[in-house]
Amino acid sequence: MKRVLASVLLGAGLLVGNVGGAHAKRMLAPDVVPSSQAITKDIVDAVQEEMKRAMNNLQIPGAPKPYSISYKITEVEVNDAVASLGYSTSKKSRHFVSLEARVRVGSVNFDNGNFVVPGGDDIDAVSTVTLPLEATPRIARRAAWLATDSAYKEALIQLRAKMESRKAGGVGRADVPAWTEQKKLESDTQIAVPVLETVAELEARAKALSAEFRGAPHIRDSRVAVTSYLERRWYLTTEGTSVTDTRRASGVLITASSQANDGQALAQHFLRYGHTAKDLPSDQELKDEAKKISDLLHNQAKAPLVGRYVGPVLFEGEGAVGFVRQTLAPHLGGTPLPEGLRPQDAKQFGGALTEKVGLRVAANMLTFTDDPTASAAFGKALIGGYKIDDEGTPAQRVTMVKDGKLLTLLTSRTPSQRDAVSNGHARRTADGGAFHGSATNLFISAKGGLSAPALKAKLIASARNEGLGYGLLIKRFDDAAITSAPEFSRHELLNMLQTTDQALPPPALVAYKVYPNGKEELVRGVQLAELPIRTWKDVIAAGNTPFVYNYLAPSESFISLRIGGGTDNGNVPSGGIESAIITPDLLVGEIEVRTSTVGQRPVPAVARPTVPTP
Amino acid sequence: MVVAASACGNHSAKPAEKPNLPPVAAETPIELPNIPSSLKVTKSAPIDGDTPSARSPLLNIMKAENDRAMVELRAKAEPAHYLAYQLVEQRQVRLEAEGGALINDDDDTDRNLDVEVRVGTAELDNTRQLSDDNGLNAPLTRPGVVPFGADPFAISNALWLETDRRYNESAQALGYVRQDLSTLSKRSEVPDFSSDQREVYVEAPATLTFDKKLWIERMKRCSAKALRGHATRGSCGVTFKLTTAWFVNSEGSQIQQSWTSAQLNVSAGVKADDGMNLSRLEQRFGRTPDDLPNDAAIDEVIKTVNTDLDALHAAPLADPYVGPAILEGRAAGVFFHEVFGHRIEGHRQKDDTSGQTFAAQVGHDIAPPWLSVYDDATIQTANAMQLNGFYRFDDEGVRARRVELVTAGKLVGFLLGRNPIEGFPRSNGHGRRSPGLPPVSRQGNLVVEASKSVERTQLEKLLLEEVKKQNRPYGMVFTDISGGFTNTSAFAPQAFKVNPVMAYRIYPDGRRELVRGIDIGGTPLVALQSIRAASREVETFNGVCGAESGWVPVSASAPSLLIEKLEVEKSFIPPDRPPLMDAPSIRQTASSKTQETAQ
Repeated sequence: MKRVLASVLLGAGLLVGNVGGAHAKRMLAPDVVPSSQAITKDIVDAVQEEMKRAMNNLQIPGAPKPYSISYKITEVEVNDAVASLGYSTSKKSRHFVSLEARVRVGSVNFDNGNFVVPGGDDIDAVSTVTLPLEATPRIARRAAWLATDSAYKEALIQLRAKMESRKAGGVGRADVPAWTEQKKLESDTQIAVPVLETVAELEARAKALSAEFRGAPHIRDSRVAVTSYLERRWYLTTEGTSVTDTRRASGVLITASSQANDGQALAQHFLRYGHTAKDLPSDQELKDEAKKISDLLHNQAKAPLVGRYVGPVLFEGEGAVGFVRQTLAPHLGGTPLPEGLRPQDAKQFGGALTEKVGLRVAANMLTFTDDPTASAAFGKALIGGYKIDDEGTPAQRVTMVKDGKLLTLLTSRTPSQRDAVSNGHARRTADGGAFHGSATNLFISAKGGLSAPALKAKLIASARNEGLGYGLLIKRFDDAAITSAPEFSRHELLNMLQTTDQALPPPALVAYKVYPNGKEELVRGVQLAELPIRTWKDVIAAGNTPFVYNYLAPSESFISLRIGGGTDNGNVPSGGIESAIITPDLLVGEIEVRTSTVGQRPVPAVARPTVPTP
Repeated sequence: MVVAASACGNHSAKPAEKPNLPPVAAETPIELPNIPSSLKVTKSAPIDGDTPSARSPLLNIMKAENDRAMVELRAKAEPAHYLAYQLVEQRQVRLEAEGGALINDDDDTDRNLDVEVRVGTAELDNTRQLSDDNGLNAPLTRPGVVPFGADPFAISNALWLETDRRYNESAQALGYVRQDLSTLSKRSEVPDFSSDQREVYVEAPATLTFDKKLWIERMKRCSAKALRGHATRGSCGVTFKLTTAWFVNSEGSQIQQSWTSAQLNVSAGVKADDGMNLSRLEQRFGRTPDDLPNDAAIDEVIKTVNTDLDALHAAPLADPYVGPAILEGRAAGVFFHEVFGHRIEGHRQKDDTSGQTFAAQVGHDIAPPWLSVYDDATIQTANAMQLNGFYRFDDEGVRARRVELVTAGKLVGFLLGRNPIEGFPRSNGHGRRSPGLPPVSRQGNLVVEASKSVERTQLEKLLLEEVKKQNRPYGMVFTDISGGFTNTSAFAPQAFKVNPVMAYRIYPDGRRELVRGIDIGGTPLVALQSIRAASREVETFNGVCGAESGWVPVSASAPSLLIEKLEVEKSFIPPDRPPLMDAPSIRQTASSKTQETAQ
């Protein structure tokens, strides 16, 4: 059994990377998830038959027939548990199956794809329906019939609107094809992955860890959430592709909030994902992290606000990950922005590098690679890996930037230039329905990396050169997907919606002033100014130890998550694109920093209930 | 109203001119026998089943924290005058099958907290509506997350956290209220809050038992049968709930209520050739899963759904129409819920942005003298049917009770929560909400009574006489209304629209023709005064109603009603076409033949 599993896993690219022997053994747990009961060969056959029927017969007289139909069938199983102060607040087990149909009309040179219909953001030639939890070919085929019909009708509207837009001087390039053809792929081998941790196991862990906050009188609210999920996917296209892929992840999230002495709301979090719970920190390590969060909030309560600062900033560990995530990752896609996208939405979506291929875009020491075929790096599991992307294209390792020069971008089957092809990075979507090239296992590497002390020395030296008495060190950014559910009033939310500059990165949650004598002073209210892509040219040094961080990239913006409440129930996010960033610490020559005083609240109107004696 | 998917109520706007109605005088009065409509009900008083020994320690924790908080909040520069906690724990089981296959199998339990902190005084507090209705003093309510179990510290911390947030928000809101009042030439003297008596009641925890495997198989069989004929969608689902609610307030009330509920949905749908989405939904409700129909009764429900859907698929589109019509019992119940019930909710009489249709009509005739209307949440069953709108205490800790709304045609009362209105200073136990929203006055079990009535068959004869009298080619009969909405905003006409599902033309020769594609529209005052006769038989509609305080279970019981003039409008029909290809035949899928034969 183990031998079979190993070969399957290797075939799936899930054991590539520098996984140690012990780690590899852990991954080969004997308990693997049994094959799907919902999607069997009968279901795939039924959907394929309906696909063939639609290709032959689906047409409104006088209108074009589909030239491409594709289906993505997704089966998700999730177990979640959340606890606070030693007691459960939520435990859930979810299982659902859906079928997504995509229809293209026109031709590969000009079709309906990647276009936002004016006033019709939801018209995107994509239709999703629910499938049964147990294999029922008759219903699957009926579902495919209805979803394809709906997607086809939308495709015709989208095509007409795109044609009219082009006539009216739309931004699309006539010399670039709309779609790239692809050789068919066939494989019905289901990927074997370890079974999910049970809800009872998750609940026990969440309760035990969350009890760590019972003795902390300065903590207002705290939660520990753990999750375990798997996602099976099947891709079927009229080109003949029929492949399947499976992703498996477990995660843990610790969050806590407090209040500074001047009234400012404070929040911290600790988040880790792995393929299974065995990739997560041990219980003792997590208890230590809970203690660190508690101590950090205690110290932040009396920490001063950062004050005005323009100078070098060192991003360390999660801080470096946050810097990469906010300023670089969204721009690595090479899929053209959807025609018709509102400029403000386009800015949020990324795309700052699309016109810079061949140019220097980062410091010479830096190389950026995305490798969705990797399952681990530096002894840590990576969750951003996959075998097949969302358009049924095999995943590929791509180096986008080498020695500071932009070589290429991450592409999907919607090209941005003639002869471009997908390099297997179709993951995120935008209005208009197209998949866009996205980074999921993003490696930042630097030549001549420095040790941590040397890097700090360089920070201090750089600050001194600017005539500053200290340099700034950032260790963590806010993440609205996991730290929302704050104690906002309605008035505060409205104010936030009206006044937040969405071009700014999220506030820094952990930041220090670093003085020439090496002393580090914790500060609050650190808000960096806008960080354009050119900031990467100003990286003046990097560390020599990579930090590995997994997360789920949400489709919503920071402010949307904040306003909407994010994971208001405290769950570990299980929605979003599985992603990992592997980066050394990064020192940027000059960044403008503002002081944020948002979240000022009165001191508690009533004293907190007495903390029980342990 | 009503049924999931309908929007109940629409609110906002300016003071309206008070209508000065003449007494109702039917243009063509119909002599009716002095025999009342017939509704047999069973009731349970709020304090029935009080079981102090079943008291949860949660009530003690909530009481202690409420007391502790109020000691400090009453002493603040902006003192709180009222603090209430409501903790609702609900297990919800949802099993749903489509076309013979299970598509949903959920079993979730949540525990949510609502905290209400009122700052100021009962006469003037943070909830006072601002003159320009900009919502600056509106609270951000949310279903707060509370740990399960009864650990005093974990529970108290959750209560404290939300109380602190809501107090600060309420204190800020009161500032806006004062600022607003300082700019007004006159202010309402009606208080913002009514206190009530202390209630202590403990209901023993209910238990939810059901055979999951059996219900899954039952839903699969049911949905396989529902997906027949013209239907492209056929589904059956059950929802079982176990709810326990604990309420504590600063008046000293401590209430524990616990109940189960069960709901069966059978639905089928298809898109007509002209693009109209046709669907038939039949729902059954009960206190427990055992109250739901058995297999044979479910088969009858499926038969109704399928037969109706096929008939609708073949039915012609109807044209706009004004003339006599019968609203059959359930349809009449929904009609009254929408057209009358929402307008009689007390807070709307106070809302300057509401049309206040009935605010000045107390003591005036608004309906025929043989017609009365009341709402009574203490009714458990009507004609042996479990009523959805039964409860013992409302979500503001006030006892449920019978409230007379219309007596012998005269308006006499309103549905009230703790937001008093002129002439009605106290709650009558109708402050309701779903977790996470502020309570407002809502309907429970609305009952329409007729002191004079005729047999249902006689009602149809009266309809045909009206057809002749009005020289109409046909009359109309509505047997099922899916829901609708009523505009209560003063910025728009005080009109309603309800959506009939099953509508028939009745020709003078007695021929009956099903039609589709229409809505019933009109204005409430005219509609009520157009009622000419009622049937002896009373039917009940059970459902859930959505409005600004969320979804709440309700019922509406009414006799069939003859309306002298009802206006029917064309409804919106999307210009979509039905599926371009015929439904796939599974027989083309060789590997699936067994599945098909099994159906």
